Parts: sequence; C-alpha cells; structure tokens
Amino acid sequence: MKVSVSQQQLAHGLSMVSRAVSPRSTLPVLANVLVATDDGRLRLSATNLEMGITCWIGAQITEQGAITVPARTFSDLVNQLPNELVHLDLNASTHTLNVRCGMSNTDIKGIDAQEFPPMPVAAPQEGVPLNVANFKEMIQQVAFAASTDEARPILQGVLMTAADSEVTLAATDGFRISVRKAALSEPLPVPIQAVIPARALQELARIAADGEQVMTMSVPSGRGQVIFHMKDAELSSLLIEGNFPDYKAIIPRSFKTSTTMTTAAFLKACRQAEIIARDGNYVVRLNILPGETEPGKVEITAQSEETGFSENSVEAAIDGPGLVIAFNVRFLREVLEVIKTPSVVLQTNANNTPGMIKPAGDENYIHLIMPMHLG
Amino acid sequence: MPIRILSEEVASQIAAGEVVERPASVVKELMENALDAGASQVVIRIEKAGRRLVEVADDGVGIPREEIRLAVQRHATSKLETADDLFHIRTLGFRGEALASIGSVSRLTLTSRSAKDKSGMRLIMEGGQIKTVEETGAPAGTVVRVEDLFYNVPARLKFLKRDLTERQQIDALVTRYAVAYPERRFQLYHDGQVTLQTAGSGDRREVLATLYGIELARQMLEITLEDGDMRINGFISPVSLTRSNRREMTFFINGRWVQDVMLSSSVLQGYHTLLMVGRYPFTVLFISLPPEEVDVNVHPAKAEVRFRQPDRVFGAVQRAVRRGLLAYSAPPPITTTVWRGSPRQSAAVPPMIDPAWEMAAETKTAQREVSTVPSVTQPNLPSGQVPLLRLLGQIGATYLVAEGPDGLYLIDQHAAHERVLFEKLLSQSRGDVPTQILLEPVVFQLPPHGAQLLTEQLPLLTRLGFDVEPFGMNTFRVRALPALLTKSDPVAAVRAVVEDFEEDETPLQAEQEARLIARVCKRAAVKAGQALTPEEQSALLRDLEACQSPRTCPHGRPTMIHLSVDLLERQFGRRGSR
Repeated sequence: MKVSVSQQQLAHGLSMVSRAVSPRSTLPVLANVLVATDDGRLRLSATNLEMGITCWIGAQITEQGAITVPARTFSDLVNQLPNELVHLDLNASTHTLNVRCGMSNTDIKGIDAQEFPPMPVAAPQEGVPLNVANFKEMIQQVAFAASTDEARPILQGVLMTAADSEVTLAATDGFRISVRKAALSEPLPVPIQAVIPARALQELARIAADGEQVMTMSVPSGRGQVIFHMKDAELSSLLIEGNFPDYKAIIPRSFKTSTTMTTAAFLKACRQAEIIARDGNYVVRLNILPGETEPGKVEITAQSEETGFSENSVEAAIDGPGLVIAFNVRFLREVLEVIKTPSVVLQTNANNTPGMIKPAGDENYIHLIMPMHLG
Repeated sequence: MPIRILSEEVASQIAAGEVVERPASVVKELMENALDAGASQVVIRIEKAGRRLVEVADDGVGIPREEIRLAVQRHATSKLETADDLFHIRTLGFRGEALASIGSVSRLTLTSRSAKDKSGMRLIMEGGQIKTVEETGAPAGTVVRVEDLFYNVPARLKFLKRDLTERQQIDALVTRYAVAYPERRFQLYHDGQVTLQTAGSGDRREVLATLYGIELARQMLEITLEDGDMRINGFISPVSLTRSNRREMTFFINGRWVQDVMLSSSVLQGYHTLLMVGRYPFTVLFISLPPEEVDVNVHPAKAEVRFRQPDRVFGAVQRAVRRGLLAYSAPPPITTTVWRGSPRQSAAVPPMIDPAWEMAAETKTAQREVSTVPSVTQPNLPSGQVPLLRLLGQIGATYLVAEGPDGLYLIDQHAAHERVLFEKLLSQSRGDVPTQILLEPVVFQLPPHGAQLLTEQLPLLTRLGFDVEPFGMNTFRVRALPALLTKSDPVAAVRAVVEDFEEDETPLQAEQEARLIARVCKRAAVKAGQALTPEEQSALLRDLEACQSPRTCPHGRPTMIHLSVDLLERQFGRRGSR
C-alpha cells in the first residue's frame, strides 16, 4: 500500500474512529485501527465488536493494500505531524507501516488486516433515507435518559420507531422518559422499530455534522444490527434485544398545573441547588406558588444535613393550583440542558405522579420525571 | 432406679420422636402416604404452622373399612410383606410407623373410603389411644387430620422453631414434591389461604414456573442421562443463575426427596470453575435406579440413602450436569455470528499475592513493630478510619488505587461501595428517607417461603425507603426505591432481601435490620468489572473516607489492602533487605 493523505484529514478521521477502539480487549487487533485503500479513498475502521465506526478520507493512491496499526500510537503520531501531506507506505512482508511527513519518518509495527473483524456491510437496497433536520439534536435530547445499569440491558437502549413520515426516539431508565419526534422529509417505504444502544447513538451524534444531514439507516433483517451511513462515515452497532417498556401508557393525558419559566433561569436555579443537594441524595423541592395579583413563582430548595440549605426563586407563569413536589435535581438539570427554547413548561398533577417538562411552543419533545418522596 | 420395661405409651412416644420431629415431618409422612395411595390430587391444610392443624386429603385408593383399625397400629403397612421386600421398595413409605407415631403425639382423625366400599370409616385417636371408630359418609380417598401436634409432649413443643421457620420447612417440602410429581395436583393452604397450587398437567417446567416464577423456569436447562438401568433427569440452572446457599439443590431418588452431601458435591463438581466462590446452582434432579441398588432404610425419616455403587451414581450426576451445561452454554449475548473473532475470554490469572501485602486492617500493629524511618509521618487516626486518599486510578475495572500519607492503598470497589451504601442506608433508616418513585411499578414473583419472608420484612423495607406491596399470591409490586439505590435494578435489590436468608436465622431485631441492609447493599453496589469514570472513582473514595468503619465491607471482607511506605522501601531493597 502506498497512499498520500492530508495530515488534517487523517487526524480528523482517526479521532472519529478512535472512540470504537477497545484498548483493553483480549483480542489485540481490536486495539488497532484498520487502514485500507477502498475505491479511490482511504478507509479507517475501528470496532469493539459491539460498535464499529468507519470513515473514508480522500487520498492519492498509488498502490492498493491494507494493514491494522495500534490506534493510540498512530493517532498520537499523526496529531504531532506538520500540516502537510502524509505518505503511508506498507511493507507487507513485515506488517510495518512507514509514515513519512515533512522531515519526520516513522515505522509502526502492525497486525495483518486479515485478522481485523469484518465490518458489517449494508446492502444498498436495505437502507432507508433518514432525512431529519437535526438528528444530532434529537439524540442529545433523548439518549441521556437511558439507563447505565448493566443489569437491565434493554433500558441502556433508545427505542427508535419510524413509520410513514415520522421518526420517534424514546429512552427511559425507569425513573424518567425522554421522547422526541421529528418529521421525515420523505415517507419511509417500510416501518422500522429497533432498540439501539444509547452509547452508539451518542457516538453517532458526535461524528455527525450539525444541521441537515443525509443519512441512510439499515436494519438488515435477522442480523440484530443497525448501520448508519453518512457521506464519509458509517457507524454500525448491535441492536439490543428485548421488549422496550410501553412508555406511551405511562405518559399522563392531562395535567392540573402548568408552570412556564425561563429555561435559563430555571436551569441556573437547579445548578445552584444541586451543589447543596448532591450530598443529600439529589433531592430538591419545588414549591409552585401561583400569584393572586403579582406573577407567580417557583421556590427551589435543597437541604443536606452535612452541607446546608439553599433556596432560589424563579418567576413563573402558573396556570392551575399550587403544589410542593420533590425531584432528583440531576434529572431536572440534565433535561433543561438539552432544551433549546427560551421558555420551558413544567406540568404537574400531584406530588406522587410524574411531572412533564417540555419546551414552550414545541410539541415534538417531552420529558417525564417521576417525583421523589420524603418518607 | 430399678430397670423396668417402658410402658407402651412411652415407648411409642420415643419411637415417634424419630419419625415425627416437627410439623413438616407430619406433612411429609402424610403426603408420601397420599402419593403411595395413587392420589391425583393432594390438598394440604395447615393452621398455625402446623401446631394447630395439619390436614392432608387425597383422592387415592383409600383404606378398606375392615382395615382401618390396623392402619394406625405400629408396624402395620400394606406396602411390605417380607424382609426381602425391603430391598425392592417401590413405595415411598414401608415402615408402617407413620400413622401410629403421629397418632401417639396428637389428636388424629382418619377418614377414609376405599373405592369399592359404599361408605367410609372415621377413626379418632388421641395420644395413641383409639377413641372411636364409626361409619361415615366420605368421598373416595383418605383425609388425615392431625390436630394439636405434640399436645402431650410439651418438651418437643418447646423445641419447635418460631412459626415462620416451621412454615418455611413445610413450604420447602411441598414445593419440592410438587416439582417431583408434576402429574399430581398439589394445593397448600396456610390458615385458609392458598399459598401453593399446581395444575397437575404433568409438565414439570410449568410447575417450576408456577412455584418459582416464569423467568426462572424459562432459564432452567433440562438434562437427561441414561446409564444402563440408571436414569437421571431434571433441571439445572445456567451459570448465570445462582443462589447464595446450597438449599436449592434438590435430589429425588426413585421419587423420594433425599438430602445427600455427596450428591450436592457431585453437582458442584459438574459446575466446577463455572461458578463464583460462594454461589450455588439451583437444581432439581431425579435419579431413578432399580430399588435393589439403593438402600432407603437408613434413616427413620428416609432423608438419607445408601447406594450400592456410590461412585457410579455420583459420576453420572456430575457428567449429566457438566454435559447439560456445555450443551446449553449460549454465546455471550452481545456477540452475533456476523462478527468474527472470539468472544471475550475471562483471563483467569491466579492471584499472586505476596504474603508481605498486609490487610489494611492489620497493618497498624505491624507498623508499630517495625521502627519507621523518621521522615515518614504516621498520622494518628481515630481507630479504623482511613486518611485522606488521593486517587491514582482504577485497575482491572475492579480495584481503585490511591495514595495516602502512609503509602499505597488498593481498594476493592465493590466492597467499598457496599460499605458506603450500608452506612448511608442505615443512618437514613432512622430519619426521613427520600425515595424515588418508579415510572412504572415492577411486579415480580417469589417462591412461597420467600414470599412469606418478604411479607415479614415489609415494614423494615418501608423504613429503608422501599415501597413494596403484596400483589396477589406470592407476587409483589415495587413502586419506589430509596433514592440512594436508583442506580440498581429495583427487583434485584428487593429479591436480595429474601435470597440470602439463612435457615433458622433469628438474630435480634437490630441485628436483623443490619443484615437485611447489608444484603440489599451487596446487590446494589457497583460490581467488580464495572469501569467507573474518574469522577465516580473519586466520589467513592470520598464517601469511603467518611465512613465509620471503612476498612471492611458489611460482610466483614476487607475493602482495602495497604502497602505502607516502609514495606515498599523494604521490597525495593532501599532499606535493609528482608
């Protein structure tokens, strides 16, 4: 293999795939990144057997070939190289990759590309276009609500349902649910339902560009995998098997009290309360006080035996009776951090039923949190 | 005192002691009689854990009217004629002692009608004396009512355990027989409430599902092995499903429940290296042998047996288990065939611990003996507390490495987290406990004795911040968890309460509370092999520093190993070699 690529593009490509490298695996080749010529471009791939990332970068190819090299060594090196053309030259008999750039000349020992696990390939006809404005934002608004508990694998996933012209992502950890809908620019030929590991989606959000993105998604039947294909990159992941909880049945149909606040003010109050609350199981109390004549407000208090007491007030437009309700402040903060609208609505019924948070004026996103209870 | 022949009454009470030891033994004898009588349905009613009443009703062949008096005589049986027959026993009973023994220590009512008789007979016996025998109308089959057990033997009454324990014994017994005889219908009532019921469909997996929950039944692996005239079949748990005690290893030999240490160890041999230390499988194995190959006449309650060729039996059990495990060992769930490459192997490296690596808990004395270098300051710490630690990292996703003023600390993250959760939960249980409500209540099922135990512990669980409520027969619903435990599986945390319960554990209330909390924490704590973020690691260290007794986990295992500066210097030969 003889290839020349730009240092910047190579460094960018390596940073993209490096998240799928598994340095602690017992299979040494998984700590490596595959460097291969592929149809006029240079292909970089890494996999940890659960998730794989591939990206393609433009290259000048004079001789075809493939090798795997230790990901850490290779990317550390490339990051230090000057912003010039990098010449890669493989000595196939010794599995050594020569990396030359400017005045620098390095030989890296690799492992035969044959030992690298084959990356799943989607048959072109199986892919469905997933044209969504801000798919990245969708993932960011949902994936954090998934569980990290390895004992409940199904909750570590995000349920994706797509039918006709609408796609929905939903995630829950048993205490909160995040659901985001979006319109597809063109209707799907076949409906899709899959539970995708939240971690894989988070990586997808990281490698996807902001804004409009042309992405094809394939769920090859019977293989338990999903493949997201973008122009220069591809991410594949194993799907999670099992029954995702029926979250629709849990979402209340109506609420008694609707409290509208400035997102930034509410978030700031929560962040301050968390400093005190984190030593007391993250409990904060929201005292929703509708005003008779003056505008209403929400008092946010946190108390910890060891740390102290904090109180913050946020002005609010309140429609409905007042209520004192306790939440895990971390849950509140995490959802407020992903709401982009200037105002946010908190809807409640009672102190033992879920509270719903959604961006004011946006029906596509809802987030449900179960309250806490002080015994 | 002169030597004299014991009166009939005393002699029979002594004999009864061997067979009838507690209410569960009465249930066992009567249930075996019912099974021997070919009953298709066995209904067992218990009141006050068997002290007040044990009643076993069957629809078997019944006792012919002219034989009813004989039935309660000592050494009267229809199951055996000559001593030779002892070696070909195909029935569960054979001694002809059960009814006589039970009758001598209780008020016994025997009602029976054999199918060929028009009317039945009722016999009432009190303390071994037949009071009345009369004709009565009765359905075909036999009903034995045993009331006021041990009313005339106060010494034995005193030795009965508390009701809960006696109930557990009965539940465990009936559960096992219900599994062993899936084609018979079993019903067990405690104080008028059904606690166990099987359909008698003949499907053993269905019985397991009814008694132990669908999830467990689905996972159990079915095994069979035939070796000449010996046959072994049954169910074994996959390696992922384990128990913390040996009690769920059940053996039936020719339809009779036996407890045999050698059989359990053969099963464990079959699981060898596949289970963690201190974890035991859940197995139900049925061994059938020609009657002459096994001597059941060893133990009055027939709980022990002797084999003619023990090695052959044990070897076969071990093979059957091993083979079953290997045949079913599914690939790790996350790999699929599309990915080439071997699944993760757990590299089993034997631990290499230099004896010089002392347990942290013991170092204090050791350090005083060795005269330390003046430059090393040993902070005076309150007993058992750990100094402020600086986190260095995590190794093997299992241990944290930290530096203290007096050397290096290796911390077992699981044990440390257990300790942290334990102290927090314990202190919270005395005040307001914040709980986190679940989005959707989780429903789960327990075996009858587990359900009973959990019901007893509900008030304590409530104080800890759980919201668990009964939800039908042996079924519970979890609605909220202590806020501390929100990172763990709610059902697993609640199950932990009953799973590790040791038999006859009757600690003081306060101690019991601590044990229960310890059990919950063990389940909820981070596991070995769980990678923690640096923030989580340092949070764990901080929490551990704040603990009252940070050096051991609630079960007494050490949470940390301390390598003192002094030790390091000696190991590296910087100061006088060892």
